[in-house]
Amino acid sequence: MALTSNTKKIHKEFEAEALPHMDILYNYAMRMTGNPDDAHDLLQETYLKAYRFWDKYEKGTNIRAWLFRIMKNTYINLYRKTVKEPDTVDYDEIKNFYNTIKDESADPNDLQEKLFGQLLDDEVAKALESLPEDFRTVVILCDIEGLTYEEIAEFVECPVGTVRSRLHRGRKLLQGKLFEYAKSRGFIGKD
Amino acid sequence: MNCSQVYELISEAVDHRLSGDVMREFEAHLSKCGKCLSEFKAEEMIKSVLQYRLPRAVIPSEVYNAVVGALAREQQSQQRSWFASLLGSPILNPAVAFVLVITLAVGVYSLFSTSSPKLPNDKNIISQSIKNYAAVIAGNIKPKIMSHDAGDVENYFKKDVSFDVSVAPTNGCDWCGGALSEFHGVKFAHIVYKFGGEHNVLYVYQTDLEEAMKGEKIGLPAKAKDALKKTGWYFEEKPGKYNLVMWKQKHTLCTAVSTMGRQKMIAFLTGTGE
Ligand SMILES: [Zn+2]
Repeated sequence: MALTSNTKKIHKEFEAEALPHMDILYNYAMRMTGNPDDAHDLLQETYLKAYRFWDKYEKGTNIRAWLFRIMKNTYINLYRKTVKEPDTVDYDEIKNFYNTIKDESADPNDLQEKLFGQLLDDEVAKALESLPEDFRTVVILCDIEGLTYEEIAEFVECPVGTVRSRLHRGRKLLQGKLFEYAKSRGFIGKD
Repeated sequence: MNCSQVYELISEAVDHRLSGDVMREFEAHLSKCGKCLSEFKAEEMIKSVLQYRLPRAVIPSEVYNAVVGALAREQQSQQRSWFASLLGSPILNPAVAFVLVITLAVGVYSLFSTSSPKLPNDKNIISQSIKNYAAVIAGNIKPKIMSHDAGDVENYFKKDVSFDVSVAPTNGCDWCGGALSEFHGVKFAHIVYKFGGEHNVLYVYQTDLEEAMKGEKIGLPAKAKDALKKTGWYFEEKPGKYNLVMWKQKHTLCTAVSTMGRQKMIAFLTGTGE
């Protein structure tokens, strides 16, 4: 094994393998940090780290998952804020509201429009950012990125069943959060 | 299906993961149970809010280019010297630079060359260690792993070498790095410790003690061999240039080279330092 490595060749190989996945990683970085500057920093730091540890990557394994794990660890080191479990949400209140308006509008899109239509995209993003990291990660990967449960399980290194339960809990927390926003902005009546 | 069974399946139903039969049973339950229906509709709605309100962020081309540029700079700095790139500043102090000039003059680039076995310097662990030290400073030896944790570096060697490699606890040093090489079938573990301050590099070279003592593929000068046999240690010093400390550790021969003082080296390597 030669000690002084051919850095040019390694560089080419790294670029060919890793650069095509910058899109998905940027999207994840955006949704995790919530702003373009931090997303840029996180993405760049992830790629530099991946480059330095390139010989630790096992050829032929899922490179997206490998890059994703580096990003997740980098994020945890750089940005970990203590995200508390959101305050308890009165889900019955949501359900009651849902029941009162569902008869008026049979079309679910219509219902969604009524409930959340006036929320700003920023508020939806903020609600997502408020989720604890484990839940937020699976929600981003499934609902925004469109990965399958199996792929997510590989990314986050946990069983498919755990992905399913985190996803369910994450969506539920989000539902409470969005409802709260809608209520505080007066889109949804207090009673 | 009862309510709790249905509840378990809601996420998979929302994500269209249920098989036809299961989905039909699921829907049959929803048609007569308002509680489960609203749970299902609510989760479905949240998914669609996310999909439509938060489309995938598309990477701006300037961000893409900035990352590609950062990687290119990283490559250049690795070529120049992984060492300087990490520190962000040139670290060659006069004493080290002097060692480097001297060793360059005698040919650093013969490092691990497999040329004629008549060249005893090739096999001589002491002269190799000094050359390697200069190569570390010059950036021609690049660690394959770097960590603040000695255990990480130790693990890196574990599966590849037959002798025990020991990495000193990194108390008092900024980080350590490791790389492996092979010469005439004999494996070498290279460890670099980086300190702050003036004498800031300690290089350690570890190999199979038995091979070194046999002297066939690699070897030691007679005086070093004798000293190791008698005391377990051997020292060599070129004042103002380098300090070399050699010792045995079970079946491993270790050689450390640095511009730092001998006592300081030993204190660090034996974990009795700061
Ligand atoms: Zn039910």
